[in-house]
Amino acid sequence: MEPPRSSGVGIDNSGEYSPEIAETLRFEEEIQSLIHPSSFDGSAAPTGGGSFTALLGLPANQAVELLHDSGAREPLASRIRVGGHPVHRPFHLPLDCSSAFPSNATLVDRAARFSVFAAEGSPASSSGRLKAEPQDSDSPPLDPIPTGPAKRKDTGRSKCDVRLSLSFKSQAKATAKKSKNAEENTDGDKLPYVHVRARRGQATDNHSLAERARREKINVRMKLLQELVPGCSKITGTALVLDEIINHVQTLQRQVEFLSMRLAAVNPRIDFSSLDSYLSAECGPVTVRNGPGGVVVDPSLWPTDATAEATRRLLVPQFWHIDLVPPQLQPQQSLTTWERDGAAHSQLLPNPTTSLFLYDPANSGNANVPHLTAKLKTAEDRALNL
Amino acid sequence: MVALRFLRALSLVRCSGPGARSPSYRARGIRRAAYACMAASAGPRRAWSRALLRKIRRRPGRGLRRPRAVIRRRRPVGGGDPLEVALRRLVPGGGCMEYCRLLEEAADYVKCLAMQVRLMQTIVDSASHVNSID
Repeated sequence: MEPPRSSGVGIDNSGEYSPEIAETLRFEEEIQSLIHPSSFDGSAAPTGGGSFTALLGLPANQAVELLHDSGAREPLASRIRVGGHPVHRPFHLPLDCSSAFPSNATLVDRAARFSVFAAEGSPASSSGRLKAEPQDSDSPPLDPIPTGPAKRKDTGRSKCDVRLSLSFKSQAKATAKKSKNAEENTDGDKLPYVHVRARRGQATDNHSLAERARREKINVRMKLLQELVPGCSKITGTALVLDEIINHVQTLQRQVEFLSMRLAAVNPRIDFSSLDSYLSAECGPVTVRNGPGGVVVDPSLWPTDATAEATRRLLVPQFWHIDLVPPQLQPQQSLTTWERDGAAHSQLLPNPTTSLFLYDPANSGNANVPHLTAKLKTAEDRALNL
Repeated sequence: MVALRFLRALSLVRCSGPGARSPSYRARGIRRAAYACMAASAGPRRAWSRALLRKIRRRPGRGLRRPRAVIRRRRPVGGGDPLEVALRRLVPGGGCMEYCRLLEEAADYVKCLAMQVRLMQTIVDSASHVNSID
């Protein structure tokens, strides 16, 4: 994925790029030159247009080199690379720029401006980097520099390229597998959105970007699933985790079947009609509150507190009714007999329910009803807030 | 939410034919009710709940297919990964989703399933507990 390199790229490209980028490049080069002073060759470079170099505020050599490089490389934004990676171009120009600068003030201005620019460079140009960088970094480090002025550079290249290529290769992972690991290292903590910072040596064309984003999404969801399924957090490896999840789902479905069989067998006697009416009266406000939420009630919260309580109480409705009715405590045995006799309780039913309904609006300060309502409401709140 | 729906459905199932039906028939009805309540309480926003309700409501023998504008995207799954295929079969509506959507729906499905199981377990427990008090 190399950008087309023209060998004879000369100073003709001076007009091709915007001065700002060039100046940024120049700033960048200066930073890098500070980093790698030793790798510079002192070979002289052919002078470029005097006015141009003066404009850039650079020594002629560096300006010419900039011209060549920026002209040769298509993505100019690739040069804006802020961070710990050294630019893989040889700097064989001496630091002491002895050429006369026509306007020191403008240079200072530019430096100040570009310091800000460079500082912002990483977030601002990250999207540019996505496209730009890999075309740079995918290409092996030795190739990219055009050969026109390359003679000058080759000598310098030999020294710094060795070191730079080493660091380069250690990071430039061109294969898909390695890039996946690499991206998981760096991008694991990023937000699951398209703005993924491409690591060095990774392809950043649209397909790879989309694939990487997709892989990130899949990994996030797999982690969610792992947390849901008990015993999955320790397992490493996608296949085993998936296996565990499938097992869990099958287990749950089998449990539903089994429990439904038990329910059918065990409870032909319990009458739920009274429960129904009571429930709807009771939990009307609760359901209304849930409606506009549009949030799927987190089911994991419910059964622990409210449902267990609710079903237990409601399956033994006579307790409710007894409690609501003026406080006469009836012995439990009569209640259980009520529970057991399917036929007998039909007589009792209308009384408790009517008294219940009478009680509900009238006596809200009662013990049980507000208790359960409160429980349901708190569970509801918790579920909604989740 | 699920508790209310489920109890209501249970009462319906019970009232419809406590004496006339065999327990296995009732068990099937209860199972259908359980899944229906689960899907209904999960909401229409979930693909699995919609698919589940559709499966439940579509009674066998109803051959009349209305030309509805159903966007059933049959994505060519590829089917390379047997685990993925198995997951698709397990999760209702899983045949048409993309992989990451499948994982998301599977997570929600597992959550709701677990809750439903707990609910039913609680009901069975309290029922048997009440019956064994004496």
